[in-house]
Amino acid sequence: MRPARRRRRASPAVIAAAFLAPALVSLLVLRIAPAAVALWESFFRESLLRGGSVFVGFENYADLFGNADFNNALLVTLVFSAVINPLQIAVSFLLAVLYTRRAAGSKIWRSLVVLPIAVPPAVSAVVWSVVYRPDGLGNSFLALLGLPSQPFLSSPQQSLASIMVLLSWIGVGYWMLFLIAGINDVPGELYEAASLDGASAWRKLRSVTFPLVRRPLAFVLVADTVSNFLVFAPVQILTKGGPSGSTNLLMYDIYTRAYTLGDLGKAQAEVIILVLLTLVVVAVQFRLLRSSDSE
Amino acid sequence: MTAPATSSNRKQRRLGYLGLSLLGAITGLLFLVPLWWTFVNSLRPGSDTFRFLNPLQWETFFTLSPTVDNYAALLNSDLGLATWNSILVSAATVVIGLAICSMAAFALAAIPFRGHNAVFIVVVVSFLIPFDAIAIPLADLFREWNLQNTYAGLILPGLGNGMAIFLLRTFFLAIPKDLVEAGRLDGLGWWGIFRRIYLPLSVPSLIGAGLTLFLFQWQSYMWPLLNGTDTQHILGPIALSNLQGQFNVDYGVMFAGSIVLTVIPLAIIIGFQRYFIQSVTTTGLK
Repeated sequence: MRPARRRRRASPAVIAAAFLAPALVSLLVLRIAPAAVALWESFFRESLLRGGSVFVGFENYADLFGNADFNNALLVTLVFSAVINPLQIAVSFLLAVLYTRRAAGSKIWRSLVVLPIAVPPAVSAVVWSVVYRPDGLGNSFLALLGLPSQPFLSSPQQSLASIMVLLSWIGVGYWMLFLIAGINDVPGELYEAASLDGASAWRKLRSVTFPLVRRPLAFVLVADTVSNFLVFAPVQILTKGGPSGSTNLLMYDIYTRAYTLGDLGKAQAEVIILVLLTLVVVAVQFRLLRSSDSE
Repeated sequence: MTAPATSSNRKQRRLGYLGLSLLGAITGLLFLVPLWWTFVNSLRPGSDTFRFLNPLQWETFFTLSPTVDNYAALLNSDLGLATWNSILVSAATVVIGLAICSMAAFALAAIPFRGHNAVFIVVVVSFLIPFDAIAIPLADLFREWNLQNTYAGLILPGLGNGMAIFLLRTFFLAIPKDLVEAGRLDGLGWWGIFRRIYLPLSVPSLIGAGLTLFLFQWQSYMWPLLNGTDTQHILGPIALSNLQGQFNVDYGVMFAGSIVLTVIPLAIIIGFQRYFIQSVTTTGLK
């Protein structure tokens, strides 16, 4: 009896701390500490002359912005984001609309679109490496349509687009799930009312469905943007950033800078730039969505 | 409304139904093609992978003489061992991670204490820092801590998952506080309330959070590449991509490995489909 009473008398903060400790320690040590370390080390540089690392202020950042490879990686990443995010969201929205209409076998076909989300990124890269081979499945399909063979990954003009296609193959079904959930929440009476007013299918899509799935759309936009900033596996497995830097996304550039070039200080600065870029884009998207919400 | 108008309306509707069904079917099948082709090729010798591609024919997508040789070969290969490692690491992550995350979620949802907001901020901030972005600085730390090429090194980063904590907290908040009071009257401490009241009531959300933890670990590529590449600790996706980079690739075995690495999460997602969709939508909408 007595220990129980004593336990009850322990302050809630102590008990809460005990419950929270393992999770808090792991979040602090494995998420926040490495970010802090990256920030700290981005201000230092290994010096052979003086031995050990030397404080250099913002020099690593300045060097990066004067570095052609980094500037190219930044540009490739921004172009990649500007194209893939609207594309994936438009496609997953249209698919969500398609698969929530009354049609034969809708559930079955929908699950085939969702299926690739189970495929790990590395596996999808390996599978598509064979699809994209000169004698692979991709060119067989083009031949069927009477189109000439394409170089896909070995062409600087097509490599980034090829990576977008394989990423969308995994991603679109996942984002579609959120939008389907949103569309199913739209009350059926709204469509009936619109139909009675003589609204066309397009008009209903634009004026009823679209505004009402704005919340899930906003979430998908933000989450998709973040995940596309972090693309790494397909680049590392398929193209190593090439040909001629055309697929050198920031994540891969950081990886080569840290491990191939061994320039940890600048790699850490690049990590910080990537995290900041992500946070800024997410914040801007939230802002935009909130101001259009209050309209 | 006149009679002819309704009949043409009905015809139009039937046409629309047919068109939508067809469009849905074609889209679905196109999404299936790469995986199906991988599956079919895993059932025939690697030397036949490119045999039926030019031109496309029914044999591209079907085989009358399936063999499981590739899967048998997988068992004794490095890729087989790597797949076992993936299973082991993911299972440990789910079990330990669920314990850690549900305890934290319980404290945030049920125990009133000062500093609640500060803790919540830590969870949200850790959630905003994308893990892959900090994987390189973390790998550097793990090298200093001698955690490189260890199971612990592979498992640890998957344990504290802000998303899982958030998910569980949302569910715990919906549990009536009266139950806490009733538990206390029965002489339960906080641990008892957590173990005997909250956990049994939260099985669906525990499954949802478990899936989140599992998929984080199973889908990860960058971390196991940075932190565990010796033959004893290598994970499935890394071993598979190493295979792809070799000059003499046995495509049959590579495809069999791809199928195994896909079927395991697929079976788990399908088995817990209801919870998966639930956890997906609650994270998106709340």
